[in-house]
Amino acid sequence: MNTFSRHALSAAVGAVILGLGGLAHADTIKIAVAGPITGPVAQYGDMQMSGAKMAVEQINAKGGVNGKKLEAVLIDDVCEPKQAVAIANQIVNQKIKYVVGHLCSGSTQPASKLYEEEGILMITPAATNPAITQQGYKMVFRTIGTDDQQGPTAGKYIAEKIKPKKLAIIHDKQQYGEGIAKEVDKTVKAAGITPVLFEGVNKGQTDFSALITKMKKDGVDFVYYGGYHPELGLLLRQSREQGFDAKYMGPEGVGNKDISAIAGPASEGLLVTLPADFSTDPANAGLVKAFQDKKQDPTGPFVMPAYAAVQIVADAIKGAKTEDAVKLADYIRKNSFQTPIGKVAFKNNGDLKEFEFVIFTWHADATKTPVK
Amino acid sequence: MSGFSLLEFIQQIINGLTLGSIYALIAIGYTMVYGIIGMINFAHGEIYMIGAYVGLLAITALGLFGVDSISAILLATLAISILVTGSYGWTVERLAYRPLRGSPRLVPLISAIGVSIFLQNYVQLGQGARDVSMQPVLTGGWRFGPDDGFQVYLSYMQVLIAAITVAFMTGLTLFIARSRMGRACRACSEDRAMANLLGIDTDRVIALTFVLGATLAAVAGVLVSMYYGLVNPFIGFIAGLKAFTAAVLGGIGSIPGAMLGGVVLGLAESFASAYLQTEYKDVVAFALLILVLLIRPTGLLGRPDVEKV
Repeated sequence: MNTFSRHALSAAVGAVILGLGGLAHADTIKIAVAGPITGPVAQYGDMQMSGAKMAVEQINAKGGVNGKKLEAVLIDDVCEPKQAVAIANQIVNQKIKYVVGHLCSGSTQPASKLYEEEGILMITPAATNPAITQQGYKMVFRTIGTDDQQGPTAGKYIAEKIKPKKLAIIHDKQQYGEGIAKEVDKTVKAAGITPVLFEGVNKGQTDFSALITKMKKDGVDFVYYGGYHPELGLLLRQSREQGFDAKYMGPEGVGNKDISAIAGPASEGLLVTLPADFSTDPANAGLVKAFQDKKQDPTGPFVMPAYAAVQIVADAIKGAKTEDAVKLADYIRKNSFQTPIGKVAFKNNGDLKEFEFVIFTWHADATKTPVK
Repeated sequence: MSGFSLLEFIQQIINGLTLGSIYALIAIGYTMVYGIIGMINFAHGEIYMIGAYVGLLAITALGLFGVDSISAILLATLAISILVTGSYGWTVERLAYRPLRGSPRLVPLISAIGVSIFLQNYVQLGQGARDVSMQPVLTGGWRFGPDDGFQVYLSYMQVLIAAITVAFMTGLTLFIARSRMGRACRACSEDRAMANLLGIDTDRVIALTFVLGATLAAVAGVLVSMYYGLVNPFIGFIAGLKAFTAAVLGGIGSIPGAMLGGVVLGLAESFASAYLQTEYKDVVAFALLILVLLIRPTGLLGRPDVEKV
């Protein structure tokens, strides 16, 4: 993101915070897009925002929804649970009825409680922690898989293909990272592999040398990391430096090009579970080109799910012929939608009926190839 | 878990000393300011963060200009970072603390917290809130131990961190012990009002203290950018907290105490990570702090300070 658009974005966020957003257009259908615009994981926010904005733009170009234009209101939660609750309150106060977000599981969960209570429809394109849809809420959906799908995918791959002699599982003690690490732990244990080490590091920790020394001494040959890329990047880099050459694997929270910027050559060969790359689907060719024309990257894991989330809101408003969020939630639960992530239908709890995670090998130049 | 290994133990000492050196460099800034004006400068962590940013930007810029000699990069980066960070230290003191001199102790403390928040947001607006990363400048090191077993790895960077830390600490100790300004510092630390009556320009001494503290924080910042290669506007908070702990552990107000405290804290974290669980490293570090304060309320090398009322 260049400086100008960053400033434009902060101005936009500022305007939203000051409540000016509400004065602009009275006859639009506002969708709040909530995620990290700043902070250490803002890269993912970019994916979410670009997908959502593209959907709004394309839907408006086709005449909008029931004669009204959609309007994306971008809101920054920095992926902080406290901040997420604060901005959820803002969304409530601005009487916005639909939210595409949040992104991090840790911030999605507390915010979802407010949306449920206030009858606001929430579709997260990125939060994968299973607990979010286990609260019995009616207003909460997601256009992405869950860690209890992703964890077993990773765990099975480790147990069946890698067969490590000594496996270590590390996580960042956050809802997302620890949740998925536990799923992997459960799956490999069921396959008869007991990790030699299951430990949490601190979010924002920079020195992992002591942990690496310990793994090296214990002869660990495979490490699963549950968390995000800043910590894993440093872990990879310091492992390589100490001559600890175990292979690493992580969830979609580590799969963006910053991991290579931090870890450099040490990111070569990292395994990552990601949603399938929807941008390679021939049905999405036109959409991919639209992204490329705007010099945006359509390959990020949350771009298409965010697009789909906006589209589902729009399609539901059209199909149900109402803007009442509670009725829309019912409609969404009962119908299926043709989106860039395929034909989607939801379970009663708001999870997708089907979603597939694929394993990729990450390369030092920040590209990825699917593992056969 | 397999048994005790001497080589692993040595490696953990190396890890701990490297981490401890960085803590110690930052801790000095806390301890010096406290020693002279009895105030905890909570903005010091942010000063270190600025040092790290300047270091990273300088290294990147030097790379663009085609400077590829490690020692040239190191010296130039240290000089630039010390200069910039030192002037931040001076400015902060001048604007946020000097006008409050003579007010109750809590007032400058609040001001310090304000400065800390201001600097964090200021860097965030100027540089973006994202992580900024950089590939290592100095790579490689020595390996010891059997070819087929656990090898101790001592990187050039770790040696450099230890060497630079020792060099700057020695310099500071000599400066305080031998130079005229150093004597003035010690006099202010003993009794500021009396020193003032005897003709010492205490405002100048205090400004110098802040600049010296910022200098060492800048050195720590540069070393951290070179070693870890990742900075963001929020690194000052955790680093500041740890360094403050190190300063209290060693005895706040005592310079050798801050050095010792930093090293002890680094080693404690390293060993807790190694022989317990990584989760417990902060628990162990802070439990150690409580224990030391229970037995020696003034910290490891602190002087009892009863006469200040």
